[in-house]
Amino acid sequence: MYNYKSGITQIDQVTGGLEAGTNFLVLAPPMSLAEELAYSLTRPLTGEYAIVLSTNDRAAEVIDAFKVMNVDKRYVGTIDAITKSSTPGITDTNRLMFVASPTDLTGIGIKFSKMIELIFDGDFSDGESGLFPPPVRFCVNSISTLLMYRKLEVLYQFLHVVTSKVKKIDGVGFYLLNNESFDEKTISLIKQLMNGVIEIKIEQNLQYFRIQGLKEVSSEWMKFSVQKGQVVIGS
Amino acid sequence: MISTGINGIDEMLGGGIPGGSTVLYSMEPGVDGQLFMISTLISALSKGLSCLVILPHTTFDVFKHDAARKRGCTLDIFNKKIVFVDVVDRERIVKSSRSRSEAQRAWEKKVKKVCTENAVDVVFVYLDLLYEDLGLDGALAIADTAKISKETTIIVEHLNLEGRPLMNTFISHSSFDLIITIGSAVSFMPQFNYFTLLHTSWSQIPSRSVPFITAEGKVVPYIPKIVVTGPAQAGKSTFVTNASDIGFSVDRRGTTGDPTTVAMDFGWLRWKDFDITLYGTPGQQRFDSLVPTLLSHAMGVVLLIDATKPQALERARHHLQLIQDKHLPMIVAANKSDLPDTMSDSEIRKELRLRKEVPIFFISATRKADVRLVLESLVDFITQFSY
Repeated sequence: MYNYKSGITQIDQVTGGLEAGTNFLVLAPPMSLAEELAYSLTRPLTGEYAIVLSTNDRAAEVIDAFKVMNVDKRYVGTIDAITKSSTPGITDTNRLMFVASPTDLTGIGIKFSKMIELIFDGDFSDGESGLFPPPVRFCVNSISTLLMYRKLEVLYQFLHVVTSKVKKIDGVGFYLLNNESFDEKTISLIKQLMNGVIEIKIEQNLQYFRIQGLKEVSSEWMKFSVQKGQVVIGS
Repeated sequence: MISTGINGIDEMLGGGIPGGSTVLYSMEPGVDGQLFMISTLISALSKGLSCLVILPHTTFDVFKHDAARKRGCTLDIFNKKIVFVDVVDRERIVKSSRSRSEAQRAWEKKVKKVCTENAVDVVFVYLDLLYEDLGLDGALAIADTAKISKETTIIVEHLNLEGRPLMNTFISHSSFDLIITIGSAVSFMPQFNYFTLLHTSWSQIPSRSVPFITAEGKVVPYIPKIVVTGPAQAGKSTFVTNASDIGFSVDRRGTTGDPTTVAMDFGWLRWKDFDITLYGTPGQQRFDSLVPTLLSHAMGVVLLIDATKPQALERARHHLQLIQDKHLPMIVAANKSDLPDTMSDSEIRKELRLRKEVPIFFISATRKADVRLVLESLVDFITQFSY
C-alpha cells in the first residue's frame, strides 16, 4: 500500500506517511494558515499528482501557490469554479478545467473524473509519466464556499461520492472547512466522511495544529508555521 | 417524434421521443453525460422547434459556450428559436421571495410566461437547484407548468446523488415517460460509461444498459463484444471480414489446404451510431477451450452454420450449448444459402432444438448486405432481449 509523505517529520517518522485511500478534514478559523497547510499536504512529490478544486481562488493563483513550493506544474491540475462566470469563453486544458460556479456539482464531478482519467491514461503531464498506479493528492479549497451555495444534505451526498472516489483510486484528500462559520451539526456531519481531522487554532498570534485519527501520532497541539510551502513545527 | 440526437437510442426507442412526453436524463456524479441533454436540444432546434432552457446554476452565455464546445456547433444559429431562464432569474426570485411557496409561484409565473410568449415546444430543465430550492415536488411542478399544451415536451437533466431509490420513486409515481440513467463503471481505475433505458411509458422496452463513448461531439452507443461462432468452415472469417469496416483474421493453412482460423477473427464497425466490435471464434475442435473465454462478457452471439452441411449441426449444437449456458442474446445465420441443397428452417430448428423466438437468417456471408442484416437484427435483439 502506498504511503503519502506529509512533509511533516513528526508524522512521517511515526507513520511512514498518510495511508492511501484516506480523506482528511482541515478544520480552521479564518485568517489562519489553513490553505498553506492544505496546499503543503497536497504538494505532489516525485511521481505523484495533485488536483485542487478551487472555489475561492482563480486557477492562476493556485498554480502560483504551488510554484512557490517549487512544484513541477505538469503534475498539478486545477478545477476552477470562479473564473468561468466572468469569462464564459474560457477553455479547458488537460490540467486547467473550469466549471460554471461552485453550485455546479455536476460539472465539478465530471471535471474531477476527467482529470483522474487523464492521469491514469498518462495524458496529464505533457508526456511525462509518474508512478503507476498514479498516487493522487486531492484538495478541496473549500467546503465552506460549497456550503454557501448548496444545502448541507446535498453537499454531504456529493462529498460522500468524492471521498469514496479518492478512496477507490488510492488517493489522499484534504478538505478545508472554516470551523467558525458553521454549527457543530454541520461539522460533525462532514467529519463522518473523513478518516482524520487536522485542526488549526490561533492563540496570541501563534498558529497550532493537531491531528486526530492517526493512531500512532499524538493529538497534542503543535505550534507551526509554513515557509515556502514547507510546514515547520515549533518555530 | 423528437430525436434524442443519438441515433442508437432513437433506434432502441422505436424512432425517438413522442411529442408531449416528459423525459429524465439522470446522471451519476462524475459521469460526463451532459451531451445527452445537449444532443436532444440541438436535435429539437434543428427540427425548427421552439425551445426553453431553464438553467438555475449558470448563465445562458456560459451554457452556450459549453454546449458549443461539447457538441462542436454553435447555438447562436438558433437564436430565434431558443430562450433561457438562467441563474440571474433564479437570483431575482430567491431575493424577492420570502418563502418557498412564494418562490414556487414566482418560478411558475416566469416559466409559464416565457413558454406562452414564445410558443415553446420543448422545455429543457436542469433540475438540481430547483430541487434544492423548492423540493422535489415543487421542482417537478415547474416542469408541469411549462406544459402549455399536450404536445409540449419536457426534458430534464438531474444529478442523482440519491441513487436507485429516487429512480424507483419516479417510476412508481409515473413522474416521467422515459428515464435514461447515465452511469460509470469505476473500480480502481476509471473504466467505461454506460446508459440505461430504465423506463418507458409508451412501450415495453426492457431495461437495458449499453456502454457509450463520446466522439466528435456525439454520444456513440458501444457494443464492445459480439461473438460469431460455429463449426469449422461455416464461413465465420468471411462473415467478420464482410461485416467490418476494419477487420483481421489469424489464419493458417489447414489440412485441406484452405485457410482456417487458429486464434480468432477481429473486426470493428460503426452501424447507425453504434460502435461494434466483433470477435470470430475458431471452429476446429482442438480450439474448443478458447470459445468460452471468447464468449465471456459478450453482449450477443451469431451462431453461424453451413446450410449445406447437416452433418456439421452436431458441432453447432456444442456451440449452441455454450451460448445458452451464458444466457446470451443469439441469432442463427445459415450461411451458403445461395447454394443448392440447403436445409430448411424447420430442419435446422429440429436438429438444433432451437426455441421459436431464436431467429434464423438464410444468408451468404460473401454478401455484405446479408451480413449487415444479421448484425442489425442482432443489435435490435440485444437491446430488446429479456434476460
